[in-house]
Amino acid sequence: MSTEGLDDGVVPRRASYAQLAKQVLYREYLIFVRYPANAVGGIVIALFFFGVLFYGGEMVAGRALTDSLAGIIVGYFLWTLSVGAYSSISNDIGSEVQWGTLERHVMTPFGFAPVALCKGAAKVVRTFLTSALILAVMLALTDTTLQVPVVTVVVIAGFSIVSVLGLGFAAGGITVLYKQVGNWLNLLQFGFVVLISAPVFELGWTRLLPLAHGSALLQRAMIDGTRLWEFAPADLALLVGVAVGYLAFGYVVFQYATRRARRLGVLGDY
Amino acid sequence: MTAADDSGSGGWSDSESRQDADSAGTVGRDRLRADRVGPESSADTAVAVEGLSKRFGSGPDATTAVDGVSLTVDRGAIVGLLGPNGAGKTTLVKSILGMVLPDEGTVRIDGIDARERPRAAYSRVDALLEGARNDYWRLTVRENLRYFATVSGVDPDSVAARHDRLLDRLDLSDHADVAVRDLSRGMKQKVSLASVLAGGADVVFLDEPTLGLDVESARTLQTELRRLAADEGLTVVLSSHNMDVVETVCDRVVIMSDGRIVADDAVDALLGGDDTHEVHVASADFDPPLLDDLRERLDLTVVPLEEGARIEATVDSDGLYALMAQLRTEDVTLDRVRTVEPDLEDVFVDVTAEGPQR
Repeated sequence: MSTEGLDDGVVPRRASYAQLAKQVLYREYLIFVRYPANAVGGIVIALFFFGVLFYGGEMVAGRALTDSLAGIIVGYFLWTLSVGAYSSISNDIGSEVQWGTLERHVMTPFGFAPVALCKGAAKVVRTFLTSALILAVMLALTDTTLQVPVVTVVVIAGFSIVSVLGLGFAAGGITVLYKQVGNWLNLLQFGFVVLISAPVFELGWTRLLPLAHGSALLQRAMIDGTRLWEFAPADLALLVGVAVGYLAFGYVVFQYATRRARRLGVLGDY
Repeated sequence: MTAADDSGSGGWSDSESRQDADSAGTVGRDRLRADRVGPESSADTAVAVEGLSKRFGSGPDATTAVDGVSLTVDRGAIVGLLGPNGAGKTTLVKSILGMVLPDEGTVRIDGIDARERPRAAYSRVDALLEGARNDYWRLTVRENLRYFATVSGVDPDSVAARHDRLLDRLDLSDHADVAVRDLSRGMKQKVSLASVLAGGADVVFLDEPTLGLDVESARTLQTELRRLAADEGLTVVLSSHNMDVVETVCDRVVIMSDGRIVADDAVDALLGGDDTHEVHVASADFDPPLLDDLRERLDLTVVPLEEGARIEATVDSDGLYALMAQLRTEDVTLDRVRTVEPDLEDVFVDVTAEGPQR
């Protein structure tokens, strides 16, 4: 055993938010590759549901489904992304409680909410990779061709699911406060199907809902081949505004809920 | 932007940032200590709690978990926190750590008010609250240390050498790149402690740190805790039901019951530093008149034996001399003499039964 001092005169440097993001992302990667059953299971389940949707729909609707297949694939791609973003924070909080590590994230000098957001964003990155794989398999399975301008898709899909990340943030906060409600909140992810297929052209106000406007833009990008710079500035501004708005809403709810959980003494009690 | 620069909700103000981070973004302990001294604490006080109360529920169903607790913990001290289940220990510790918001009272860490400036206050505090599951089992030991150092607000590269030394001290060097899940329970517990210390915290709260450890591992951990306190100025608040660990490791013990502190003293003082001794003397020469005489002068218990009796007396030094002198005068042959040293468990049982502050 060593007998020298632990720091040996070296003064530790403060970590930056960039270093926090890097470590959180790296941890997410490590957890992803070291829980292969979880990683592969999620992909298999997503593809199974798509298989049921595709082959079942083909039997029932026949050509009508084939005609709208590209739209369904884009929508399903966005839905898998959304589910990952929405459940990322509340699931992560549940895991941290189970692992006994939540308290250490509450005590961090970065603040609980920024760290939770950082971890949620890391999960979104992970979800992007798995959803991209699911997209590729869906295209191969259905022999469908879509345009995938990477920058356009990443930007539009990214901002689209930031709004859902905001909802997930709120759900995470409520999960901290009311543990049982968290499971019910997870059911809301099926409501994303409605948002993704919202009639934004007929009902303009639905563009203010999460996902709806982004979904419409993503369809144009992947089916019509519209590039990012070809969209109207107002469309892009609305995309960003909705994303920021819902994220801010989720952040405020999360802060309020965790503060109330601390007052009630239920933080970390599952 | 660094952790110290953040001024988000509940975060640090600009003045706070200027105060707590120097231009190089380093964590200068001595300078911080000098800056952080508050009115309720001295420069040597790491934790100061004043009038802390916490009630859960409302109306007739309300429960007072912590009732006006005040205490200070000096820098470099190891303080044991004891109490029966439901005494309020966990609520007190969580209130100090900011995981529970108290109804009344203040908490200062290194002189910083934890309610006014939580991030600054907790930047040098870490805790092991859940026994072995305090880190990620799928990550390696070193990966855990780097991750939790970062979460604690410290650049992991700047403490890499510290991590090596920490692993060496805790006999974990050979397992640094092994996933925690593949380690024994004792090693997992040591990894938990290492990850708590990875960010260079000045103050750590440890809940049952030796739970599940074998004798040797528990001793290593106890020795290391004492050395860290002595050499590094580490302040430890240790909560455990293992009285031997508390007695061996802690300088001071705080005992809680029904949400209040019922004893707060140095371990030696609690164990009889008030010059009282319990002695057991067995002899075949004890006859009824002598025993009656002794009963009149001493707080005495007489246990009849097959031959003679055994007397059990609690006396101070003068009383012990007087007792022995009398037995000599009465020509009593001492068959067996035993001094009973009180242990912390005895003190704990007495104090929690009595209730009032010692």
